[in-house]
Amino acid sequence: MSLMEEVIAAVDEMPPFPQVVHKAMQVLSEPEYEVSSLVDILKVDQAVTANILKLCNSAYFGLPRKVSSLKEAVVYLGADQLRQLLLSGAASKIYEKPNEGYAVFADELWRHALATAVMAQVLRRHLRLKIDENMIFTAALLHDVGKVVLSAFVSDKYRAIEPLVESGERSFQEAEKEILGFDHAEIGAKIAEKWDFPPAIIAAIAFHHEPFRSPKEFRLLAELVALANNLAVMVGYGTGVDGLACRGHGLLLEKLKLGERDMEELLLLFQIEMEKTCDIAGVGNG
Amino acid sequence: MSLVTVGIADLKVSNNPEDTLVTYSLGSCIGLTIYDPMAKVGGMLHYMLPDSSINQEKAEKNPAMFANKGIPLLFKQCYKLGADKKRMIIKVAGGSQIMDAAGTFNIGKRNYAILRKIFWKNNVMVDGEDIGGNCNRTMYMQIGDGRTNLKISKRGMVEI
Ligand SMILES: [Fe+2]
Ligand SMILES: [Fe+2]
Repeated sequence: MSLMEEVIAAVDEMPPFPQVVHKAMQVLSEPEYEVSSLVDILKVDQAVTANILKLCNSAYFGLPRKVSSLKEAVVYLGADQLRQLLLSGAASKIYEKPNEGYAVFADELWRHALATAVMAQVLRRHLRLKIDENMIFTAALLHDVGKVVLSAFVSDKYRAIEPLVESGERSFQEAEKEILGFDHAEIGAKIAEKWDFPPAIIAAIAFHHEPFRSPKEFRLLAELVALANNLAVMVGYGTGVDGLACRGHGLLLEKLKLGERDMEELLLLFQIEMEKTCDIAGVGNG
Repeated sequence: MSLVTVGIADLKVSNNPEDTLVTYSLGSCIGLTIYDPMAKVGGMLHYMLPDSSINQEKAEKNPAMFANKGIPLLFKQCYKLGADKKRMIIKVAGGSQIMDAAGTFNIGKRNYAILRKIFWKNNVMVDGEDIGGNCNRTMYMQIGDGRTNLKISKRGMVEI
């Protein structure tokens, strides 16, 4: 079996993306969704229902009385909170697998994914970009999903990859591609395809290190994920063995008219939002 | 030994010789440790931005996010535990950058530059540092003896 065939086999073995989350996202992307149709989808999954009630009754919201109906919780939490809860719940399980190839600390890949998603959301709001919030959050959260599969392969070839990165001329992703013949972005796109995500999300994952290669109709989303990834890595959120050996897309900052001060403001907003998200999700921050 | 975590935009001080202060994955952020070997008092700061003028109101709530607010606060909190400025041993780490020839993502550099400026104005000398590059660093300081170690991606453990 060639290396690529081995990787494809590993992609096929990935568990499916939870259908409940897929369906709920479709409803949530409509501007005026029917609460009852959302409840019908969610109530099928006991774990999801329990998590929604748990979040709603958590100290974070400090409600005066206990909410025990799913419908009430869905209304109270609203689209933004539900989306975050459902997508991060699904993604955290996917990224949870051991990551000997990339990660230094066990939950690093997951923290990086979450940070990138929060960063992308902050960028979207700050720049008032007209891109669907579900789309951005999902694409950013899943952008490095290829690493979950590639981890073992990168670990095997680490001795060959490392000197290329060490030379300072290649980013980790470029070295990975050179040695393996493909990179985690390409493999991530294959996983997203298998999971039936829309073409825009598949493209954003495929081109998050090279947004200029993205087909024009999906380019803005790919650029946004690329920039969010750059900034999350820069701050140090979820950098594993690859450290900060990630190619920066400074042109995107120019294109979006983001100067030094804007970048500082963005990072400030990001950090505040990230702390809030970690609080709610019960993830350690720091 | 107990490990005390310093988050991003956070600072901790201690006079418990059993404590080790730690901050994980410094990228463009700066980790700063100060230590008085006589009083055996030390502190660690992990700030992410150079200057609080971008948002005064948020700076009040999160002083450790900014160099210009966090650095004075770190010293003040150590003084409260009996540390003396003249005896302080100062170590600095972080300020990394992603790969970007044009230098657009230069927060790391600016985070370091402002620290130098603040120290220069206040006659503070840096005793050890490991700055820049495109690695990430985890910083540890033992309160018992003030030793400061870095765990650096690709380079392993290094004392500064
Ligand atoms: Fe990536
Ligand atoms: Fe990434």
